[in-house]
Amino acid sequence: MKLYCLSGHPTLPCNVLKFKSTTIMLDCALDTTSVLNYLPLPLVHSPRLSKLPGWISKDGTINLEKELKECAGRLFVDSQPEFCLPEKELLDLSTIDVILISNYHCMMALPYITEHTGFTGTVYATEPTLQIGRLLMEELVKFMERVPKAQSATCWKNKEIQRMLPGPLKDAVEVWTWKRCYSMQEVNSALSKVQLVGYSQKVELFGAVQISPLSSGYSLGSSNWIIQSHHEKVSYVSGSSLLTTHPQPMDQSSLKNSDVLILTGLTQMPTANPDGMLGEFCSNLAMTIRAGGNVLVPCYSSGVIYDLLECLYQFIDSANLGTTPFYFISPVANSSLEFSQIFAEWLCHNKQTKVYLPEPPFPHAELIQTNKLKHYPSIHGDFSSDFKQPCVVFTGHPSLRFGDVVHFMELWGKSNLNTIIFTEPDFSYLDALAPYQPLAMKCVYCPIDTRLNFHQVSKLLKEVQPLHVVCPDQYTQPPPSQSHRSDLMLELQPPPMPYRRCSVLNLPFRRCYERVYILPELANSLVPSELKPGVSVANVSAILHSKDNKHTLQSVPKAAPAPPSKKRKRVVEEPPVGGAPKPLLSGAVPLEPFLATLQKHGITEVKVEETTDGHILHLQAEDTLIQLEEDGTHIVCDNNEPLRTTIRDLVLRFLQKL
Amino acid sequence: MEGECFTLLPRVCAVLAAGSSLPDDTSLEKLLDWFSELTTAGVSLVKDCPCLLEFTSTVVNSATSDPCILSFTLKLVGLLASSEDGFIVLQESSVLDLVFNPGHWEKAGHWEDPCVRIGWIQGLRSLLQHTKALCFFVQAGKQCKWRPHESEEHLQHGLIEPLLQLQTDTSLFVASAASQILAHILIFYQPSPSLTHNSMEKNEAADKSTNPSTTDDGRCPFKAETDQSFTTVVMLISEHLKNSLVSGGDAKLHHAQQSLRLLVLLLTRLRPPLRDSLLHAVTDALEELLMTDLTPPLMDVILAAHSSSSSDVRIHRLVSSLLSTKKPTDLLHAAAAFLRRGLHDDVHTAQCARAILLPLHIVTGQLFLDMDPADEDLCSMAAQLQNKSSCISIICTCLTNSPLITVLDPSFLPCSLDVIISSILLMLRLCSGDTLSVSSGCSGAVRNVIGSSKVKKCALEALMSVSSSPGAKAEVIKVFTLLLKYLDDPDSDPTVFHKSYQVLVRWISVCRDPSSIPDQLKQDLLGVVRKRVCDVRWEVRDSTVEFLGRLAAVKVHHTTDTEAQSACEVLPGGSSSITPVLEEALLDPESYVRASAISALAQTQAPGWQQGAALTQERSEFVVRLLDVLSEDTEGFPRRAVVQYFISWFSSSASRSSLLRRSVRSVLSRGSADLDWEVKVHTLELAKLLLDEALSAHSSSTKELGAQCVHPYAVIPQPVYTPHTHTENGEEDTAALLETLVEEGVVSVLLSGLVDCDRPVALKACRLLIVLREALCPPSHTDLGTDRETVAKVSFLLPKSGWALEIIKILKTKNKAEEENAATLRSSNCIDELKLGEGYNKGWDGVSGAGCERMSVCELLSNLGLDERVKILNQSSDHVQNSPLSLLQDILSAGGAHTQPNTQLMQEVIVDCY
Repeated sequence: MKLYCLSGHPTLPCNVLKFKSTTIMLDCALDTTSVLNYLPLPLVHSPRLSKLPGWISKDGTINLEKELKECAGRLFVDSQPEFCLPEKELLDLSTIDVILISNYHCMMALPYITEHTGFTGTVYATEPTLQIGRLLMEELVKFMERVPKAQSATCWKNKEIQRMLPGPLKDAVEVWTWKRCYSMQEVNSALSKVQLVGYSQKVELFGAVQISPLSSGYSLGSSNWIIQSHHEKVSYVSGSSLLTTHPQPMDQSSLKNSDVLILTGLTQMPTANPDGMLGEFCSNLAMTIRAGGNVLVPCYSSGVIYDLLECLYQFIDSANLGTTPFYFISPVANSSLEFSQIFAEWLCHNKQTKVYLPEPPFPHAELIQTNKLKHYPSIHGDFSSDFKQPCVVFTGHPSLRFGDVVHFMELWGKSNLNTIIFTEPDFSYLDALAPYQPLAMKCVYCPIDTRLNFHQVSKLLKEVQPLHVVCPDQYTQPPPSQSHRSDLMLELQPPPMPYRRCSVLNLPFRRCYERVYILPELANSLVPSELKPGVSVANVSAILHSKDNKHTLQSVPKAAPAPPSKKRKRVVEEPPVGGAPKPLLSGAVPLEPFLATLQKHGITEVKVEETTDGHILHLQAEDTLIQLEEDGTHIVCDNNEPLRTTIRDLVLRFLQKL
Repeated sequence: MEGECFTLLPRVCAVLAAGSSLPDDTSLEKLLDWFSELTTAGVSLVKDCPCLLEFTSTVVNSATSDPCILSFTLKLVGLLASSEDGFIVLQESSVLDLVFNPGHWEKAGHWEDPCVRIGWIQGLRSLLQHTKALCFFVQAGKQCKWRPHESEEHLQHGLIEPLLQLQTDTSLFVASAASQILAHILIFYQPSPSLTHNSMEKNEAADKSTNPSTTDDGRCPFKAETDQSFTTVVMLISEHLKNSLVSGGDAKLHHAQQSLRLLVLLLTRLRPPLRDSLLHAVTDALEELLMTDLTPPLMDVILAAHSSSSSDVRIHRLVSSLLSTKKPTDLLHAAAAFLRRGLHDDVHTAQCARAILLPLHIVTGQLFLDMDPADEDLCSMAAQLQNKSSCISIICTCLTNSPLITVLDPSFLPCSLDVIISSILLMLRLCSGDTLSVSSGCSGAVRNVIGSSKVKKCALEALMSVSSSPGAKAEVIKVFTLLLKYLDDPDSDPTVFHKSYQVLVRWISVCRDPSSIPDQLKQDLLGVVRKRVCDVRWEVRDSTVEFLGRLAAVKVHHTTDTEAQSACEVLPGGSSSITPVLEEALLDPESYVRASAISALAQTQAPGWQQGAALTQERSEFVVRLLDVLSEDTEGFPRRAVVQYFISWFSSSASRSSLLRRSVRSVLSRGSADLDWEVKVHTLELAKLLLDEALSAHSSSTKELGAQCVHPYAVIPQPVYTPHTHTENGEEDTAALLETLVEEGVVSVLLSGLVDCDRPVALKACRLLIVLREALCPPSHTDLGTDRETVAKVSFLLPKSGWALEIIKILKTKNKAEEENAATLRSSNCIDELKLGEGYNKGWDGVSGAGCERMSVCELLSNLGLDERVKILNQSSDHVQNSPLSLLQDILSAGGAHTQPNTQLMQEVIVDCY
């Protein structure tokens, strides 16, 4: 069993598991942090951005004025942003049989894998994962296509040149593999390969293994996966949460008794408690509005935003914010808000019951009805006429490099009355803000990451007790910024197996058994004899038939009656005609009675030597050795065949024949 | 009522003796309480209630009595015999010997029941109040052979033997009661320290003639008669304690625990000669016990011994071995207990200080104690700290007790005070996950404390306590920075926020000079406060608002000769930056927060009131807002706070502005009509201020009230009733004063309060009306000439609706009762008028408005029967139900119902049960 690690990012996993005869890709997340190296894509012409100076090396030898722009002491690539893809060279991706998706954040690289690698398999995901994943991909494509950039910067990627650049561009890795965003056509094609599954549904893969998604409690339709054969069980835990938010709670008990547990997607903010952050978010929001400022919340169009809106729903009145407008701007805002209301079966129990009242599960429906929350596909159109300040705007993309958020950054960045509140933990807020410096607006970092923290995962692992744990390298040591915090790492016995990008792990477990079926008529013909109480054995002569990884023992066809013709044309195809198989022996040779028997047969001079495994009898007169061991008996007798036969027969007297 | 009770008593005794069912479990206890009260009041039960004697002898001689009745009887006999007279009567009737003979109860098969045993002990406890009782206690065994299966030898010392045995009874209540009575005997009968043996003998006769039972401090003044008996008892108890402390099996251990508890009781209350001899008897046993295991009672005994005779070498040795125990938690607790008792000596105090600081030394890695890393104590404590549950409790004990160290003489300290303060600060940093500052701390322990709210609170508490220590001032900036971090931490528990604010206020008052705090910190504090006042959790918002109020109330002095300045100056912009935040909080959805905001605003505005600052337009608008809160807020807390605000304003303002006058009148009328009784009580408090002002009497209680910081929704404590005397200055314009009080609405507030259905309101109003009457309305028999006439003419317009109808009703009832004596009552005409509803009396010069009656205030006050009313109101609302008469009637009814099970009464009782 092998694990190929195609991504080094702990929360954006992409791994391939080779188990029995199957090749299974576990998630294919897209690392979008690479976009932080690019200049933002403004929706409206930005004189500030267009006037940024280009970069020329100090000695003047390299001129990348058109490709690289300098802002507040940092270099940014002026081009269509590109993403860092999962590793493609580690193994032939066309051999992948299936791709298992755990949540909609972990499928953003799907078109790159399914469309350009010769992939012919199936993708498995739950319905909300597919639908919301589609929305996120669609949003991403629209963000990019709305602001087309003619040029594509490539010169800076030249190894020689990159080495000359200042950080962080200099330290960017795998830049040549970075790719521009896919098209909507590719998205549709990739998603057409998705087969929907429900929680706990069992899907057979080629008869070799069975896969089954379990609720992971992180987002709508998010799942962990169980991959098991008859005798082995591998659990894949990715992006799980034990907090009571909107999704169905995590199914922990099904993870028990795993041989290997692959653990990814723990919280990126182990020291930030989501509840505290949610409170902080609300307080900062209220404080800004009270002081007459606007609040900008860069966020994804699905996920935590549902909880944020729910929290605000309760908070608005208590903080006297009833008259403040809340805007949600995204090409998919409407679909996202509506989708969340229809996936009732994927919601937590509390929200599910609301559906039968009937009431919308999420309170944002009421916010929309009462006009407190308004949503728009973009800043153009209706929004510009409805827009009132002070207000709160939720919009993407959290990287601040594309999407409507860029416009609000340009609009509100100059006033210290306004506040930007970061809630998505995927991007470093300082890096995200870098191309907007100098910035007067207040910045508040309230990353809300509901995924498991180290304390919760230790407790979980104590309960489910996997034999081996495989996890990203980052989880085996404290975060670099808090090197003394030994509570922020996984401490397990045996220690977890760490992986990095491009690691190939031989999973430390050996398959010992395989299930073989036996046909009824063959079973009927068996004559078991009892070796010891409770243990019976029987000889089987059969043909082993293997198909679709299923093994069956079939009866040996009876030898056809001899054909009248003496000619035998196809001898080879004749079933092997075996005579009655030799009987199998069992039992042990008791020393004393055996010696007595030897004596009866005239062998008297026997020297008995005790060994670790049994005894050696030295028949001195006959110059013969009899080695009696637990699992074998040897008679060493040179050139005295009659004696050997005699001794053999004597030995056989003590053994049972089957 | 007493006579009536005594009449019922024989029947009650009969019911009890017949074993009838009782109204409830507590009836017998209540009955005993009543008997005790009577005894204390000097009633001789034996003489006045002979039926009790009869009852006791019936029960004692009956073989089939209910154990509860038996227990009651035992206690009753003890009570009856607690006076010498009663004792003699009972002894003569030989009831006493029988009742306190355990053998008797054993034979009857009742001794197995713990309630009989406890009755026996408590009876004995009541009995042992005089010398005769002690003699009886010691002699009893000799006179009657109550334990036939025991040898003569055991019977020599009366009841002491069975009592000592009961000290290890299986029932904990019995065992504890036995210990209590043993302690009582030794303490009560111990020789007085001031009197010598001879002088006591001389005084004996005199003592006997006055109060034969006890002296003021509850001990027995006798010696001679008891001397022999007492010596015997002391000897036996010492011997018993000594034997029971010798280590043995589990049963023995239980015995030892009981004896240790008894020893603690004794050592703290016995006086020298006796205490020393007792100590002498048990020291060896204690030493031996200390070698086996340390338990909290053993620790208490040793420390009690040390505090009573610290110079004793053997006790000194005991304390030394106590403080050298190898179990880290025991050592910590022993050290803490030692310091908490305020015990100091050259050797042990320093040792204790080290023991308490040891966990801090290990966890913070500060290594301020000069210790070898391989030290045994250090290693075992470090091992304990690795375990999460013990770690938290150890560190909390350490932090809770560390302030004890800061008050010690510096010569006892193992390190300087500032090191202790910085260690506490470091601990707080560790709790919030900042581990960068720890270099060599115990990582396992550090891991345990991260995020622990319990440790955070203890450390904050410790930080608060050390704020007054000498080195504190130098640490102000560090403390500020840390507390700001705590207040900014979104994960902090609301209780941690609350504590952090309290600590901050304390340290700001320590700092004295707010200008020494860097501007950035001040700015950060304002930012944090603004953020926290918007917090999702109301507790945090409430703490923040409360903090701002406290900040305004704290005064800081730059130097001794400069004027005090409000601590608000620690915020940029001072109190002007606080006010908008607090005004915003007035709209908070949580009533507690609104109430705190009102209270905090009162505190921020108080300096302006005191200086008589001119009222601004905003301030006037704010007052209107407050009055709106009083009439519109749906919750009681903010309304109470509003009345409180006006109380503060009125009591602290230098001048009476027209706005204040107007609003107070408004508060009085709205507050007295409130549905919340506490708002009404607060309103009456405000009325009292007006009353006091009018009477020019400086009531001490009012001043106190103005000065102290009253929580916005706390009930005002009952003021001491101090009737005002009629002063000479007051006489001159009494009528005018009364007129003012009527005009300001004080009189109508008091009258409406008087008929309020809530007792505290009615009581307060009644007391204030009495004050008013005493001060302004001269009694009718005194002749004060024209002045009296003028005062009597001051009238009041009594509406004919609402509470006023109740007043009219009272007057009518009163009139009816006094009808026959109408000639002497001047106001009878007025009452007649009211009764007939015809208008007003010719002798009155007032006019009645539509639906109103005008009447003389003084007449009204004298006719309301205020003195009787205050007496009734002073009793608790259930005094009727709880009266002895009611109890006796209940017992009789239950007994009657028992004998006639089909009666209605029985059904009622059953219904009552549900």
